[in-house]
Amino acid sequence: MKDDLLALRDLDDGWLDRRVFWDRDVYELELERIFARCWLFVAHESQLPKPGSFLTTWMGEDHVLVVRRRDGSIGAYLNSCPHRGNRVCTAEAGTARGFVCNYHGWSFDLDGRLAGVHESAAFGREPTFDRSKLGLTPVAQLDTYKGLVFATFDPDAPPLRDFLGDFAFYLDVMLDNDEGGTEFAGGSITSVLDCNWKIAAENFAGDALHAGWTHASGAEAMLGRGVAGLSGDDTESYHVNVNGHCWEFNLDGVGNAATLGDRRIIDYLRANEARFTERLGPLRAKMVGSISSVNVFPNFSFLPGQNTFRTWQPKGPHRTELHTWVLVNRDAPEEVKDAWRKGAMMTFSPSGVFEMDDGENWELATRANQGVVTRRQRLYYGLGSDTAIEHPELPGNVHRGQVNDANQRAFYRRWSELLRAGTWDEVPS
Amino acid sequence: MTSLETHFEVQAFLAYEARLLDEERYPEWLGLFTEDAHYWAPGVENRGRSDKEGTYAPSRMAYFDDTLDDLRRRVTRFTAPTAWAEDPATRHLHVVSNIEVEDGETAGELLVRSVFVNYRGQGDVDAATLYGRREDVLRRVPDGGLRIARRLVVLRHAVLPAKNINTFF
Amino acid sequence: MSADVTSAAELKGCRVVLCAADDVPAGRMLRVVVPEAGPLLVANVDGTFHVTADTCTHAEASLSEGDLEGRTVVCPVHWAEFDLATGAALCFPATRALAVHPAAVEDGQVVAYIRGSREG
Repeated sequence: MKDDLLALRDLDDGWLDRRVFWDRDVYELELERIFARCWLFVAHESQLPKPGSFLTTWMGEDHVLVVRRRDGSIGAYLNSCPHRGNRVCTAEAGTARGFVCNYHGWSFDLDGRLAGVHESAAFGREPTFDRSKLGLTPVAQLDTYKGLVFATFDPDAPPLRDFLGDFAFYLDVMLDNDEGGTEFAGGSITSVLDCNWKIAAENFAGDALHAGWTHASGAEAMLGRGVAGLSGDDTESYHVNVNGHCWEFNLDGVGNAATLGDRRIIDYLRANEARFTERLGPLRAKMVGSISSVNVFPNFSFLPGQNTFRTWQPKGPHRTELHTWVLVNRDAPEEVKDAWRKGAMMTFSPSGVFEMDDGENWELATRANQGVVTRRQRLYYGLGSDTAIEHPELPGNVHRGQVNDANQRAFYRRWSELLRAGTWDEVPS
Repeated sequence: MTSLETHFEVQAFLAYEARLLDEERYPEWLGLFTEDAHYWAPGVENRGRSDKEGTYAPSRMAYFDDTLDDLRRRVTRFTAPTAWAEDPATRHLHVVSNIEVEDGETAGELLVRSVFVNYRGQGDVDAATLYGRREDVLRRVPDGGLRIARRLVVLRHAVLPAKNINTFF
Repeated sequence: MSADVTSAAELKGCRVVLCAADDVPAGRMLRVVVPEAGPLLVANVDGTFHVTADTCTHAEASLSEGDLEGRTVVCPVHWAEFDLATGAALCFPATRALAVHPAAVEDGQVVAYIRGSREG
């Protein structure tokens, strides 16, 4: 029964089993086989500017402390004291020389090593006490891709570059359109949604369809009109996916960016289009601010143009903690960066005119599945069943048309593959 | 120390403002602001006492960092018939208390501190409670009334315990 | 020189030879245990030698295993900071000053003048 559910046998025919959003045991398996196994976004390097800079975040339901070490490298550890399990860091960000557990005074340096204990004489007499074995538990692997820091708990996970695969080609649209690279604008905003994390992730993976309907009021506020149709025959747009990482986009260049309602952003994009083209080629240069959305499997999403970056942190099958940041080009003029910071918040934050309508839908779409009969009814994911194409420039699985369910199916296909695989070796490449 | 009369006037002004929000009378609510108003609700971070960065700052992300035009945009969304999440209407309750009034730095302005609780009932069973402190600069305008020239809203939440903020504070 | 030392000893306290100056290059610290004063910290700050108690006044940690940042020593266990010249505790969690002993380089050796009353 479980195996049958996890196989998602009807997915290729365009149907999804609703139990993926509801069952507790499915959720527990996700924590084991997706969140304790995949590379997860944990920080942007700019959030850790100097030795001692730290932040705390989530990898699945595991609380993780991410630090800039003294040698300039980045470390990530479970934020839990090996003595009684208490958090050793209770702030969400800051600067520290090390971390001291409030419970019994065990202290840890930036390398996660146990630096000292309270009442050290007693521990000194204890033959079973080996300081070197009582550091904070590090993640298995940590790596960066052009400013983004990822970590995995699985020592057998493939290298980050393999995990991302050809999706790096697309990530460069955001991360490498300018030689100065990127940074996060200051701060972060966190909120809580009573929805399954996948409903949010799949929305960013491919749901261009909802933009014009769900967000009609937001578009009215920011553009003075609704979102133009996205499925016309003359629109060049795509769903692309690699290893479950998904990007839906068209090539209008500034469609998303325009919703921020700030001329300075459009001017910046227009003024730099030639430079983007030089770095990325003409096709990808048109993606920098276009109507598009992205999910890096499993739960790291962003919107080119609006530049909102976010993680959907699982808090049980029916609850998600949303963490958001704003990405800007490091060398962009300060006023442009500030316009992006403001614009992203105005549109995609808990008070944002677009985001406000998403949460409601996702919560009710999750909650409906409490009904046992409702839960038996499959959901339709069939759009774009014959849209797969080969494209001379675009790598990965490419589908024509951004109003499509192809990416969502790819997202759940990857989900299914990971949940059914006992080890990384069993995950299809 | 401001006069009893001024304090009473401010208290009545803030109660009226809260009722406009409860009743979703947004255009009238916008009318309570000066043209140069700044409405700022910074994101609040859970940082240590000794952290010089502080728990909020102007350069960081904010729920609102708005001019009057920005506030008008938000009202456009609230009042659009396509604001699906607002129908049925959210049942908001804005409670304002602990009002302190003193003379502002500029003649004709008052510095007003208050606390607020925003209770929300939404749909059938959804409920949320948001709360924080406010610091307003109220300006006396030629018609004799008061307008909000500046508002700082500091929520007490590091993780917002709600899916959205579909109102103002 | 020897005459000076005798008079200095009366003024400053008991003269104790701690190590060769070359043992502690600039920017480094060394722990030296002497019977007269227990563990001492010898620190070379840009050619000036400071001698203080080595044990942090907050908890039981050897400051010599910590960091030397300018004239400040940082405890390796809870990151208390002390001014090596004055012994002053500069930040939480330390609240008590560190014992400071007059020090000099004499014939290439670091010596301290230990006064019992100043032992930490």
